[in-house]
Amino acid sequence: MDFFITIIEQGLIYGILALGVYITYKILDFPDLTTDGSFPLGAAVTAALITRGVNPYLTLPIAFVAGALAGVCTGLIHVKGRVRDLLSGIIMMTALWTINLRIAGTSNVPLFSKETIFKNNFLAGLFPDAMGSYSTLIVIVILALLTKVVLDFYMKSKSGFLLRAVGDNEKLVTALAKDQGNVKILGLAIANGLVALSGCIFCQEERVFEISMGTGAVVIGLASVIIGTSLFRNLTFMKATTSVVIGSVLYKACTAVAMKNFEPQDMKLITAVLFLIVLLISMERKKKVKINA
Amino acid sequence: MKTKTTAKVLGAALLTMALAGTTTVYAEEQYTIGIEQFAEHGSLDNCREGFLEGLKEEGIEEGKNLTVDYKNAAADMGTCGQISDSFASDKVDLMVGIATPSAQSLYNAAMDAEIPVIYTAVTDPVAAELADEEGNPVGEITGTSDKLPVKQQLEMIRQMLPEAETIGIMYTTSEANSESAIKEYEALAGDYDFKIETAGITTTADIPLAAQTLIEKVDCMTNLTDNTVVSSLPTILEMANEAGIPVFGSEIEQVKLGCLAAEGLDYIELGKQTGKMAAQVLKGEKKASELFFETIEEAALYVNTAAAENLGIEIPEEMTASAAEVFEEITEAE
Repeated sequence: MDFFITIIEQGLIYGILALGVYITYKILDFPDLTTDGSFPLGAAVTAALITRGVNPYLTLPIAFVAGALAGVCTGLIHVKGRVRDLLSGIIMMTALWTINLRIAGTSNVPLFSKETIFKNNFLAGLFPDAMGSYSTLIVIVILALLTKVVLDFYMKSKSGFLLRAVGDNEKLVTALAKDQGNVKILGLAIANGLVALSGCIFCQEERVFEISMGTGAVVIGLASVIIGTSLFRNLTFMKATTSVVIGSVLYKACTAVAMKNFEPQDMKLITAVLFLIVLLISMERKKKVKINA
Repeated sequence: MKTKTTAKVLGAALLTMALAGTTTVYAEEQYTIGIEQFAEHGSLDNCREGFLEGLKEEGIEEGKNLTVDYKNAAADMGTCGQISDSFASDKVDLMVGIATPSAQSLYNAAMDAEIPVIYTAVTDPVAAELADEEGNPVGEITGTSDKLPVKQQLEMIRQMLPEAETIGIMYTTSEANSESAIKEYEALAGDYDFKIETAGITTTADIPLAAQTLIEKVDCMTNLTDNTVVSSLPTILEMANEAGIPVFGSEIEQVKLGCLAAEGLDYIELGKQTGKMAAQVLKGEKKASELFFETIEEAALYVNTAAAENLGIEIPEEMTASAAEVFEEITEAE
């Protein structure tokens, strides 16, 4: 039972990251490597704030804003500086390493003795002892759901509609007399805000900040997005955002099962194979080939 | 797990007793432990080896009355968390964390599962919040620290190189252990009339350039237990040898590879010490929270005469005489 709870917890935390990656990769068609830096950015901001005694719930919006700023920088580099998308992300990701170290003060910040969004007096009073072991799960479910619902709501707004249009049909945006560059920057800001939010939650769940925790974040995000959107492609009643979050839980489940049966040293290879298999059985490949042809 | 197996063994023993009519019952306790090692790395491997030896000396032996679930996190925080959670859901009797991130991650998972954690190779348990200022464990967690004997190392360098002024240290900016070691070096260097020059790197790829810059500025170099730097030691040694700059190590393996000398740790010993602590906890003699974390009692001197010859340095006789081990050749890195 614990095993499944862990998977769902981890899957939902990374699900928020996957929502961010979904915006950049699927909607904007922008391979955004800033993710590897904005995930630990959210964690670094959180660790710095919590060690200074800030209320842990306040770290959530602050981490989001910090991530959004990183996204704006990537956007400005790309749109105003006319740097290729991949390179803009790499530049920001590299810069964020130092920024994260400076924000956190050191490469490893433990939060064992501090109150977090999962462990505090308020929650302890709210949940009776018997439910104590589920309190973390409940908090994560609420946060993930809330994020998804707010994002869905935003996507239906005028601004969200423009965002979706920029990836599909740039001419339409221009025809509506809107600057597509600005829309892209906005999209990157929201995406990286979500990624940082996910880092903020992860850091509080693990109760430690580590500078290296962002390594590979973008791969996890991409895998979740692709698993989610391809597996549930035919379920039209399901929103893409829901599929992405479920994709993330499935991805974590696969790695957890793999980890039980294989050596951790082999995990990266297994991840790569898993990733490839999903791509091969999904429609993704055909679409890509057609584009290249 | 433990109680179940014990019950089975007891049951079997009782049955045998009833059948044979004997009166002696001996049921051996069975233990299951989970070992999580942060990265693949000579010193950390030695820790693990020593740990199992230490347990064996206390009568807890793998394959006999001990089942070991060993996982390596391949230096990935996410993997760390998943390993820790799987140990917690398997309800092992004890978790063992090798290196700081693993120890922290295990503690986080063990806290709710009420499983004791033993760590080793954590340089600064206080900074990692695994122990309080006085050295008391913060919970059911204790272990050993691989804090460097910085004072002895500086003393040894001074004795070997009476003329040297500046010591260079290379470190990875992402390793908290190295940062605290550098602070200690900087605080103590003045007592021995040394100046410290540091070069921070982010990845292995930065090493050649950083080593070159550092070599030009210093009279000798010394190593910390920095994972990234230690993994690239052969590269650094080659560049330093070319420039005639002696490099001092921080533990026995590095001296084998060609560092001139080290007032250092023996990680196998450190592991053994940890294993003995773990045995106390497993047997129920002491709770982890009742054991202070330990540092290795004595630093040992290791010297490499082949490295000295290459550099044209004469090692004072009394030093080779007092050394725990003198290596006469340089071992090729694996």
